[in-house]
Amino acid sequence: MRKPDHLQGTLELLILKSLEYQANHGFGITLHVQTVSEGLLRVEEGSLYPALHRMETGKLLKGEWRTTENGRKARFYSLTAAGRKRLAAAENNWTSVAKGVRKLLRFA
Amino acid sequence: MNTPWGWLRRRRRREREWQDELDGHLALREEWNRAAGLPAEDARRTTVRQFGNRLRTLEDVREVHVRRWLDDFLRDVRLAVRGFRKSPTLAAVAVATIAIGVGASTAIFGVVDPLLFRGLPYPQDQQLVSIGYFGPVDNNEFNVVASYLDWRREQTPFQSTTSMRVASHCDVVAGDAPMRVTCQLVEANFLRTLGLSPAVGRDFTADDDQPGAPRVALLSFALWQSRYGGEPRILGQRLTVDEEPVKIVGVLPRNFEMPQLGPADVLLPERLDTTSPRPAGSSSFLRTFARLKDGISPEQARTRLMPLFQQTLQLDVPKELRSEARLVVRSLRDRQIHDVKLASWMLLGAVLAVLLLVCANVANLLLARAAARRRELAVRAAIGAGRGRLIRQMLTESLVLALTGGLAGCGIAWALMRALLALAPDSLLRDRTAVDARVLLFALAASLAAALLFGMAPALERPRAEALAGSRVAGAARTLFRRLLVAVQVAISLVLLTGASLFLRSLWKLQSEPLGYQTDHVVTASFTLRQQRYRPAGAATGFFRDLEARMKAIPGGGEFALSDSIPPRGSMGRPYSNMRIAGHPPLATDGGMVEFRWVTPGYFRAMGIRILSGRAFTESERQSGQSPLILNATLARRMFGGENPVGQQIDLEQSGKWCPIVGVAADTRNNGLTETEPEYYRLRMDDAAPPRSAVAIFRTSLAPATLSRWIRKEVAEVDASLPVEIGTMNERVGRFRQQPRFVATLIGLFAGFGVLLAAVGLYGVLSFLVTQQTQEIGVRMALGARPRDIAAQILAYAGTWTAVGVVVGAVCSMAVTRMVKGLLFGVTPGDAVSLIAAIVVLALTAAAAAWIPSRRAARVDPVVALRWE
Repeated sequence: MRKPDHLQGTLELLILKSLEYQANHGFGITLHVQTVSEGLLRVEEGSLYPALHRMETGKLLKGEWRTTENGRKARFYSLTAAGRKRLAAAENNWTSVAKGVRKLLRFA
Repeated sequence: MNTPWGWLRRRRRREREWQDELDGHLALREEWNRAAGLPAEDARRTTVRQFGNRLRTLEDVREVHVRRWLDDFLRDVRLAVRGFRKSPTLAAVAVATIAIGVGASTAIFGVVDPLLFRGLPYPQDQQLVSIGYFGPVDNNEFNVVASYLDWRREQTPFQSTTSMRVASHCDVVAGDAPMRVTCQLVEANFLRTLGLSPAVGRDFTADDDQPGAPRVALLSFALWQSRYGGEPRILGQRLTVDEEPVKIVGVLPRNFEMPQLGPADVLLPERLDTTSPRPAGSSSFLRTFARLKDGISPEQARTRLMPLFQQTLQLDVPKELRSEARLVVRSLRDRQIHDVKLASWMLLGAVLAVLLLVCANVANLLLARAAARRRELAVRAAIGAGRGRLIRQMLTESLVLALTGGLAGCGIAWALMRALLALAPDSLLRDRTAVDARVLLFALAASLAAALLFGMAPALERPRAEALAGSRVAGAARTLFRRLLVAVQVAISLVLLTGASLFLRSLWKLQSEPLGYQTDHVVTASFTLRQQRYRPAGAATGFFRDLEARMKAIPGGGEFALSDSIPPRGSMGRPYSNMRIAGHPPLATDGGMVEFRWVTPGYFRAMGIRILSGRAFTESERQSGQSPLILNATLARRMFGGENPVGQQIDLEQSGKWCPIVGVAADTRNNGLTETEPEYYRLRMDDAAPPRSAVAIFRTSLAPATLSRWIRKEVAEVDASLPVEIGTMNERVGRFRQQPRFVATLIGLFAGFGVLLAAVGLYGVLSFLVTQQTQEIGVRMALGARPRDIAAQILAYAGTWTAVGVVVGAVCSMAVTRMVKGLLFGVTPGDAVSLIAAIVVLALTAAAAAWIPSRRAARVDPVVALRWE
């Protein structure tokens, strides 16, 4: 069995969240994360693809080849039903972890 | 279809897609960087820095998929194991069947692999050939010195040729310990032609090989180890070989084998005299070998050698033998295994047939199981398991069974191989056979092939929607397939059974056919006088006279005789056409060879050979100066037809010496146990020097062990250094029956197992059928069918498919058994008795297998059957 990994969990959350409203390709996901977080977060491109493939075989994502607006072929990922469920759970989880950490920091 | 090729193609396409995806990302990123205002070179460099190692990422992606596949596979395995735990009997039967099938075929493969497939222990061994004359004189091709020298000088198809003399015992003194070993006299380039070089020291040189050169020797690795403890300083040391000093120049490689597979303790240069003129008669014998030039086949080499052969044939082969001499160029492997090749192929074929039967049986079991699980599979298909997924799971199940069975089979193979080697008649097998990676690989391959074979059948069954309803209609095609499977099983086992009955009949004939001589209570002692010691005139005759007197005096020794050879081995023989009958026209020139033996008068009594007419030799004739003859019945008939030979005179070798025929003896089987050859007996005279090899024969009531002590004591008193080999006639004859018995035993075992498998298969199909038709049977019984009709219907059904199998099997056995003709004695491949016996055994077994299900069908209770479900 694979061990749950916090960093991996974070990356998974970022990917799921980026794909919540529209399908995107890997590069698009890195851009999305970077822009929306105003440069605070960066997806490490080397570990993005293994994560995408793992999530695809885990049926969280669905991948298909499409053409981008500037005419390139790229593999677009979109959320499956299971992916949406996972996103909701991960968001909840993250919020409570973040809340807990914030409280802890304030107390100290 | 899910073929391995399709799988490989898909796998490569996906690999390409992963690469394309990463490359697309890089391209987009580079474009983005350029759009942000970086110059082209910087844009690329930044892209690479940002992305990191592309290959590493690709590797990570791949791992994700491999792990997924592995997880799936492990899940399938767990599922399969859990499934089999629910039906442990079925799993146990399947595993045991596979274990026996894989075990038996692995064991046989292990035994025949060194003979048929594995390379010989020489570099580029397929280039090595044995060449020479082939004639009725010997079982293998040979050469004579004069011809060989011509061939060596003028041949074109070979890189090199080499020769050796026919081996002889020699007496070696190393240090002060005398021993009798085998010395091989070989040409200087012998090792080089084989592609070998000494482990220690140097090879022979052309100078060593000159007549009169200082004598040098190579020792075998084993002798070096046992006598000199592997001490490298033996080089240059001296050794006495047949009372001549010899210098040791080297040691043979550890795994050295003579090309004709004889023993070799010491190698000496043969020192052929190349300058002496061609002798008038045939000169001494050689075995000759050669290494083919690149790209030349043995057949091509034979064609090219043919003109030379024709030329030397005229010069060196006696006129009478020319018509029967042929040129042989054949691969070393063929030379080595010629008489076990056919047997090896046949055993391998038989055991693979058994493996096929095993596959058919397991397929049958799995099909029955699949039928029972039809609803489960249909449910799984209905909730979305893809067809490929279901096939994969079925194949995984087969794989689990096959590998478990294969693992157990390896154990069985190991035990079987040991048993086979203990039984095997041929020391060739013992020397070479070992359980190694090749054999284990075969076991694995056999298991995997079996898994594919028996796993395909249930896997290809498409789950049908109707099965969800529990309807029993689905699967008509499947029962047809199962019936065909039974017919195939019956056919294969019939072929095996026919083969087995042929071999058993052949063995029985071999055992029961009279040999023409007594084997019970006959003890033999063989020895060969040393040349050096008995060279002086009269030394050998003196020895034999002394020995005879002592042997006759052994109390309880019974009938005693001396001969130079005894059956079942033949003697060298002389050309038939060389003989003349006084007052008769010359004999036919194509008579082949006539064997002969030098015997004392007691020979016929000691061996229990009947004198058919005339009389045996008498003691008084031994001083008569006449040389009386006794012919065997075959020779007498050949030479004289209906005429009475007794009292006629024969000149044996156109020497002008006429020998009177005093009697005709019954035929004996010679040259193995199968042949009766023309033969005559000569009396050992008191004054003539007899051959150096001799056999003392006793027909006695003493226990062999007791007699053997007496014999050794008496021989030692005449010549203490003479080694004697003592055995019983039963042992000697038994050795010739070993191979046929070995083959017959194995084929018998395989056939027995095959029939058992076929019976189990038939039983399985019929039981399944009865279960499936319970309802239908119930309806028919309710409508008035009698139990007898129901049983008869089931039996008729079994009979039909058995009959189909029998017909196919009979045709196949006709074709297959023809190929093993050379292994049979006294029966022909088309032998009706064997075929009928096989059919009867098979039919009875099939009837027995069908009996139980038919009884069960007859006992179906209509009320229960109709409520069933």
